[in-house]
Amino acid sequence: MKIRKWRAAAVLFLALALVGAACSSDDDSGGSDGETLKVAFVHVGPVADKGWSWAHDQGAQFLKEQLGDAVEITTLENIAEGSDSQRVFEDLASEGNKLIFGTSFGYMDPMLAAAENFPDVAFMHATGYKTSENMGNYFGAAEEARYLSGMAAGEATETNLIGYVAAFPIPEVLRGINAFTLGAREVNPNAQVQVVWTSTWFDPPKESTAAESLLDAGADVIAMHQDSAAPGQAAEAAGAKWVGYNTDMTEFAPTAWLTAATWDWGPLYLKTAKDVIDGTWTAESIYGNMAVGMVKLAPFGESVDTETRTLIGKRQGEILDGEFSVLPDPIVDQDGNSRELGNIFEMDYFVEGVIGSSDG
Amino acid sequence: MTTRRFIVEPRGLASNRLKLLVPLGSIFAALVVSGIFLLLTGENPFAVYGQMVDASFGSSRSVAETLISATPLILTGVAAAIAFKMQVWNIGGEGQFLMGAVFAAGVAIWLGDGTPAAIILPAVILAGGVGGAFWASVSAVPRVYLGTNEIITTLMLNFIAINFVNFLIFGSNSPWRDPEASAFPSGRPIPESARLAEFFQRLDVGIFIAILLTIVAWYLMSKTRWGFAVRIVGDSTTTARYAGIGVSRKILGVFLLSGAYAGFAGGLFVSGPVGALDPRSLILGLGFTGIIVAALARLNLIAVIPVAILLGALNNSGPALQSIGVPTATVTMLQGAILLFAVAGEFFIANRIRRPDKVDDLAADAGVTA
Repeated sequence: MKIRKWRAAAVLFLALALVGAACSSDDDSGGSDGETLKVAFVHVGPVADKGWSWAHDQGAQFLKEQLGDAVEITTLENIAEGSDSQRVFEDLASEGNKLIFGTSFGYMDPMLAAAENFPDVAFMHATGYKTSENMGNYFGAAEEARYLSGMAAGEATETNLIGYVAAFPIPEVLRGINAFTLGAREVNPNAQVQVVWTSTWFDPPKESTAAESLLDAGADVIAMHQDSAAPGQAAEAAGAKWVGYNTDMTEFAPTAWLTAATWDWGPLYLKTAKDVIDGTWTAESIYGNMAVGMVKLAPFGESVDTETRTLIGKRQGEILDGEFSVLPDPIVDQDGNSRELGNIFEMDYFVEGVIGSSDG
Repeated sequence: MTTRRFIVEPRGLASNRLKLLVPLGSIFAALVVSGIFLLLTGENPFAVYGQMVDASFGSSRSVAETLISATPLILTGVAAAIAFKMQVWNIGGEGQFLMGAVFAAGVAIWLGDGTPAAIILPAVILAGGVGGAFWASVSAVPRVYLGTNEIITTLMLNFIAINFVNFLIFGSNSPWRDPEASAFPSGRPIPESARLAEFFQRLDVGIFIAILLTIVAWYLMSKTRWGFAVRIVGDSTTTARYAGIGVSRKILGVFLLSGAYAGFAGGLFVSGPVGALDPRSLILGLGFTGIIVAALARLNLIAVIPVAILLGALNNSGPALQSIGVPTATVTMLQGAILLFAVAGEFFIANRIRRPDKVDDLAADAGVTA
C-alpha cells in the first residue's frame, strides 16, 4: 500500500514535468543576440508601491526611453531578501542578462555569491557596502534632503513631537533620522523625534499601525523610512502632517503632505548601461547627492508657508554649493555628549532630540 | 419535492488506480483553468508552463535549486504529517522550524571554529531537533495535562518565535548577531566545519539527511510497536485506553517528534544554504508550507518527499515567470490554483458522486429510510 502510494505520487510528479517539458520545446527565449543589452532589476517590494521600488522602476523606464531597442529590461518584484535570492540572481544571469541591479540591502551577500559564479555579468547593488570585481554598489545622500524635510516638519509641529516610522536600525536609516532631527531642531529647538521600528521595508498595515501608535503618543507630524504611503494615510486620517520618502506621494494624503526626500535613479542607470555596452564599466562604489541630482526634495504641500519655503530654499542652496554639511563634526549624541561624527556609513547612534533606541 | 441530480457519499476504500488518477486529473484541471485565465490576460499558457518547468528542472543548476528549496519542506511536511495522523493539530511548524534554527546556530557558534565536522555537524543538526521539540513542548505539555487547544497555542508561538529571531539579530547584541557587521544587523556566520558539504551546484547533503530522517519517521510510525500504539490512539483514544495504551504519553511523544522534525528542517537550513541565523533568509513561511505539503501528500510520510520537491519547483518558478513578463499577481494566482485543485481533488478520493438510483434514493428524498 505505502509503496504504491509513493509510486502514484512519483508518477504524477514526472507526468507534470513531462507535460511542461513538451510545452517548453518550442520556447526559444534567453540568450542575448549581441546587439541588445539585457538588463534586469530585482526589487524587494512591488514596483507599484509608489515608493522605493517604484522610484527604481522609474529609473529603469527612463533607461528604456533613452536607449530604446539597445536594451531589454526584465523586472522582478516581491523577491525576498536573504540566501534564497542568490538563485534569482543566478537565474537572471543564466537567462542572458549582462547587467543586473538589486535594489535592496538584504541582497548584498547573495548577490556577491552570484557575482562570483557569473564573472562576465555586471552586478550593481543598491545601499550595501560590499563590492567585488564585477559587483559595484550605489546609493545617495538622502540625508541632505531629509535635513530639509526635517525643517518643514519642525515648523509644522505644534506638540513638538514628531513621529518617525523606520524600517531597520542600519546606518542608512540612522543617518536619515539624525539629519532629519537636526533639520527639525534648527527651526524648532524644542522639537523631538520619536522612532518606532517596524523590521520591514514594505508592509503597509504594519507601517500604518506604527504611525498610529506615534500619533496616539502625541505626535502631530509623521515622518518615515518605509516604502509605502501607509504612514501618510494614517497621518491624514488623524489630521496630522506627513513627511514622505522616495517619491512625491502628495496624492495619497494631500492635506497631510509637507514634502519628502526623493530619488532620481534614471541618470545613474543610463550611465551604467552605456558603460556596460561600451565595455568601460568597472565595479565601484557610487554615492550620489543633491548636487548631482540623485537626491531631490519633493514639491511642498499647501500647508507649508512661504516663509518656511524660503528658509528651506536657502539651506538647499547652501547644500548644493557644498557650503553646508547636514551632519556636523563633532556632533551631539542622544545623551547630550559631543562626539566625533565618525564614518557616516557605519553610523550606529542617535543625535540629541531623538527618542528611541538605535539598537532597534 | 425536488429530485437530486447527484448524490455525494463517502467512499469506503478508494482504489489505488483512483488515488493516482484523481491527483493527476486535479493537476490537469488546474492547468486548464489557469490556462484559460492566462489566455484571457494575454499570456501564452504553453510558454508559461514551459518556463515553469524550465526554471525548476530545465538545467542541472535549476534541479539543484529545486532540491535546495525542497529540503526544508520535506521535513516541515513530515512534521505536520506525523502530528495530523494522530489528530494532533500542530500548526506551529513555522515557530518550531525557527527555534530549531536558533538552537542549531547557537550550538554551532558555541562550539566554534576548529571543532571537527564529525562532532559539530551531528551536534548542530541534533540541536535543531531539540530546539523544535522544545518549542513544541510549550504547546504539548499544556495540551496533554491541561487540555488546552494546541491549534491556538502552536499558532501563537509561531509569531513569538518570529519576533524572537528578529530580536536576536536586529534588537540585541546576542551571540547570534555578527559582531563584524554590528552596524548592519545580520546573523553571525557559523563555523565552516558546521556547514553541510555542497556536492552538486549549490545543493548540499542536507537533501539526503532529510530523506533519511523521513524514512526513519516512516519506520518509526509504521513498523514499530510504538508507532502501532500511536496509530491506535490516532484512530480512537477510547480503543487505545481500553487496550491499555498510555494515551497522554503517546500524544506528548508525537507532538515532540513533530516539533523535532520541524526543528531538524531549521537546523539543516542553517547549516546548509544559509550559514547563519539570518532572519531574511529564514522567515519565509517554510513551516506553514509544510502543512500544505502534508495535506497534499495525504499524510503519507514517503509521499511527502515528491510533494515537497513539487512545491519547491513551484516556488522557484515564480521569479522565472516574472522574467518572461507574467505579472506577479498572475504568478501567485497560478501557484494558488495548482495547490487548490490538488487539495480539492482529495474530496473525490474520499467521496463518491453518482446519479441517484431509482428506488432507494427517491425513498430517501421522501424521508423514508431505505
